[in-house]
Amino acid sequence: MLDVKNLSAGYGDIVAVRDFSFLLKPGKILALLGVNGAGKSSTLMTLMGIVEQKGGEILLDGVDISNLAANRRIRQGMAIVPEGRRIFSDLSVQENLTIGGHIVDAATLKRGIAQAYEYFPRLAERMGQKAGSLSGGEQQMLAIGRALVSNPRLLLVDELSLGLMPKIIDECYDVLAKLRSDGMAIILVEQNTERALAVADDVAVLEAGNSVWSGSAADAANDSSLVETFLGTA
Amino acid sequence: MLYLELFIQGLVQGSIYGLIALGLTLVYGLLRILHVAHAALFTLGGYIGVVVTNTTGSFPLAIVVAMVAVGLVGMAVYKLAYEPLLHRPPYIALIASIALFIASEEIFRIVFGPFGLSYIDPPLQGQIEIFAGFRLKYGEILVMGIAIVMLSALAWLSAKTRTGIAWRATVTDPEMAAAFGINIQNVRYLNFFIASALAAVAGVLVALLNNLVEPTMGSVPSYKALAIIVLGGLGSIRGTLVASLALGIIESFGTIYVGHLLDRDALAFAFLILILMVRPQGLLGGK
Repeated sequence: MLDVKNLSAGYGDIVAVRDFSFLLKPGKILALLGVNGAGKSSTLMTLMGIVEQKGGEILLDGVDISNLAANRRIRQGMAIVPEGRRIFSDLSVQENLTIGGHIVDAATLKRGIAQAYEYFPRLAERMGQKAGSLSGGEQQMLAIGRALVSNPRLLLVDELSLGLMPKIIDECYDVLAKLRSDGMAIILVEQNTERALAVADDVAVLEAGNSVWSGSAADAANDSSLVETFLGTA
Repeated sequence: MLYLELFIQGLVQGSIYGLIALGLTLVYGLLRILHVAHAALFTLGGYIGVVVTNTTGSFPLAIVVAMVAVGLVGMAVYKLAYEPLLHRPPYIALIASIALFIASEEIFRIVFGPFGLSYIDPPLQGQIEIFAGFRLKYGEILVMGIAIVMLSALAWLSAKTRTGIAWRATVTDPEMAAAFGINIQNVRYLNFFIASALAAVAGVLVALLNNLVEPTMGSVPSYKALAIIVLGGLGSIRGTLVASLALGIIESFGTIYVGHLLDRDALAFAFLILILMVRPQGLLGGK
């Protein structure tokens, strides 16, 4: 479904990702691992059309979306849970979810919002509340819920667990597992290597913008030198 | 009774300020540009109002034509003057805006003549007695009525419609708004259309109250509206409205009680300085 070939990207003259290729099938989770600044978030933001792509191809179901503006890409069936959540803090929970479904018609929007509340019942309790007043965990739930309203086939998730309580992290990962079993493809950027290896099917390791290792999550977990060399102790 | 009279006169003036300053706040909130040339659109609205009324005899039509035409001009100002400068520091756009404002006064002078225009048969000059001895012109009542209708419509649009929600999301985080499929360019056009249309109404109404439009009609409102949006807390819509009404009322009382010391326009800035000494973030501004 997603076929990325020789992707290069960056900000101005700075190259953040170099010659990165990978393949992702429906119903699979790919974890991007690497230390801070390795280019993981930049990769996601480039896929979404926010960071400038400098080379290579992004094929989504065979169609090259490299030249699509950011606001058109979500229409191709992808959505992002960005680093730092970036919920619209002045808007209510319900309004944030409405933005998540900006591209769909009213009936689909209603269904999508109901679905998000089903995944995260705590959001339903806070639907009229300003998103900025939510706890960190609730904001992360909202960021995930917001990305799901448009019913994407490809979900990009950046730093899901950062700064959250273990119980909340479990709840979020349960939802991702459920989405995968429904056939959604997911790219996961995660600092918490242990978590990532436990849930992912495939792994790609980035270092200073270059892909230095890729393979199955099981192989990565068994390769203790890989974990030590590129990721620090897990 | 004098107090009530001054209070209501203050509300009339405050409504005008609100219609003008709100547009500045909308532009500042979305693009972080101090849109000085906004006052030129206010003047343009006044001219169109007078010309259309004098030609067709219909004042309501004049309001509609002024709003639509000036709204479109506002969109053009964004496209031609601001969009090319968005990636530069904001003061560059500010300089462009000031230049545009100065040039516009000369354009008005050339197109409409240096002496100003008046309504041939000014509409809504009748008066109604609010209470014993206090009369309001229909025009003044219309000012408050239009301000209430426009602001309610805007509040409804931004809170209850998907377009309005998308607009507020874009103000908060344009990059994420785009990632969720919002066409930011369209939001900016809409923003300038609405801001400019509000200024146009204000222009038509001021032209009605003074029965005069002249090329320099925008100069006092231009800096006063800047004072108001700073006073309200930059970017805060509610703050802008509170500051507009407060300033209208303070000017109204001030001209009676301290008018021999400070004139109306100096009062506005004395008030601004006073408030900012106590609350540097403005009346309703965040930190």
